[in-house]
Amino acid sequence: MLLTSGLLGLLYVVFAIVLFQVLNVGLAPMLVIVIGIALFQFYTSDKLALAAAGAKVVSREDAPQLHDMVERLCGMADLPKPKIAIMNTPVPNAFATGRSPKHAAVCVTTGLWERLEPKEVEGVLAHELSHIANRDVLVMTVASFFAMLAAMLTRFGLYAGMWGGGGRRDNNGPPVWLIIFAVSILVYAISFVLIRTISRYREYAADRGSALITGAPEYLMSALQKISSQMTLIPNRDLRQVEGMNAFFIIPAKVKTFSSELFMDHPPIEKRLAALAEIAREMGRPVA
Amino acid sequence: MGLRDILSGRKKLPGPKDDRLFALTTAAVTLQVELGLTCAGAAAITFKPQSSGEFRSAFDDVDKLLDAVAQQSGSTIDRKSDDYGYDWIVVHDPQLEDLVGTAHTLASELTAQGFGEQLLAAIFKFDGGTNPVYWIYGFKRGSFWPFVPSGKDERDNATELELKAKLEHELPIEPDLTRWLALFDAPL
Repeated sequence: MLLTSGLLGLLYVVFAIVLFQVLNVGLAPMLVIVIGIALFQFYTSDKLALAAAGAKVVSREDAPQLHDMVERLCGMADLPKPKIAIMNTPVPNAFATGRSPKHAAVCVTTGLWERLEPKEVEGVLAHELSHIANRDVLVMTVASFFAMLAAMLTRFGLYAGMWGGGGRRDNNGPPVWLIIFAVSILVYAISFVLIRTISRYREYAADRGSALITGAPEYLMSALQKISSQMTLIPNRDLRQVEGMNAFFIIPAKVKTFSSELFMDHPPIEKRLAALAEIAREMGRPVA
Repeated sequence: MGLRDILSGRKKLPGPKDDRLFALTTAAVTLQVELGLTCAGAAAITFKPQSSGEFRSAFDDVDKLLDAVAQQSGSTIDRKSDDYGYDWIVVHDPQLEDLVGTAHTLASELTAQGFGEQLLAAIFKFDGGTNPVYWIYGFKRGSFWPFVPSGKDERDNATELELKAKLEHELPIEPDLTRWLALFDAPL
């Protein structure tokens, strides 16, 4: 996960440099492109994520119980009913997407529905609905937009500094493109860590939201435990199949664990369980 | 939903809106005269219980009060819970006023104890149409919407929209159709 998104980011940096250096695109068109990408992601987030996951929107006739469950949780959370989708994979997981509560979708995998108890599914759904209530797609889009913008401006600032100032250019220093590249990567790395920090914080917030909506944090706790333990039991082929959806999932599907917490978009399961236990104590209910 | 909720995430559930339950008793006349719908003598209130000790003891007090109110008005009260983990208070009484009164008592007492955000909905049954007609009151919305189940998992949207159109001026009806929660398994 860390490697793939790191490489994707690098690709993006290279893409921007090519646009800028080779094709000679100016600052204004570059800004338009950056803002355009952000807006496109924002406005199509529900359809984009569902299509990327290969999830199918289901009607009440197809999944009456799921509809009932979501409707009531929405009633408790005072949210409009989102689109409900099912993703056909044995990996138990769920995600929510959409730019606002009115344009939201929540998706569960068939594995989640089959392997978890109804109350645990409810805890997971309430977690996803909390993402919608907290407008996490908006928050993450804004955060990544600023990261993109920062990277962009750094490059342009450097470029202006290098080529501006007449003939004061030092021919003995390293090549300009290398400096631009290095600083771009540094800015990208910092924003990468920041975005993941925000993402982890939003996960805690959604866990808390789920506890509030269901009034029963222990079911989400057991659901998280079940999902994470089953994640490692299931063959790798399925995991890799869903890996691209990680940032949206309640628990990221992982082939190997090698990144430290700083680079993760979800907090480690132990910390989430500890935080939920704390919420449970605040709510005054016994925790095993 | 303020900026703070967006930045830090919700810290508590939205509570109930101002109580507009009693609007149903005034709309009952129109329901009867124009649509031939009469109160079926049953209503239910549903909420999500927390099993924290605090909630339990608060609810016990409310529960005792409900019994006292029921004795006075001559209604009978049942307590049920469903597969989705919600509790139901089912009231039987021929008078719509008493049904609404019980729902109001439960809601205002639970709110006074600090657990108003656990309230989900109240549902009132009416007879006279081809299918029974239900009016559902959403506590968090402070508004009503019609619910006409026409099969196991189907609702008669045409009749529901007709009811909305006819009652709009007398009843605070929820304008956002995505909030029209269905309660197929209401124990009425």
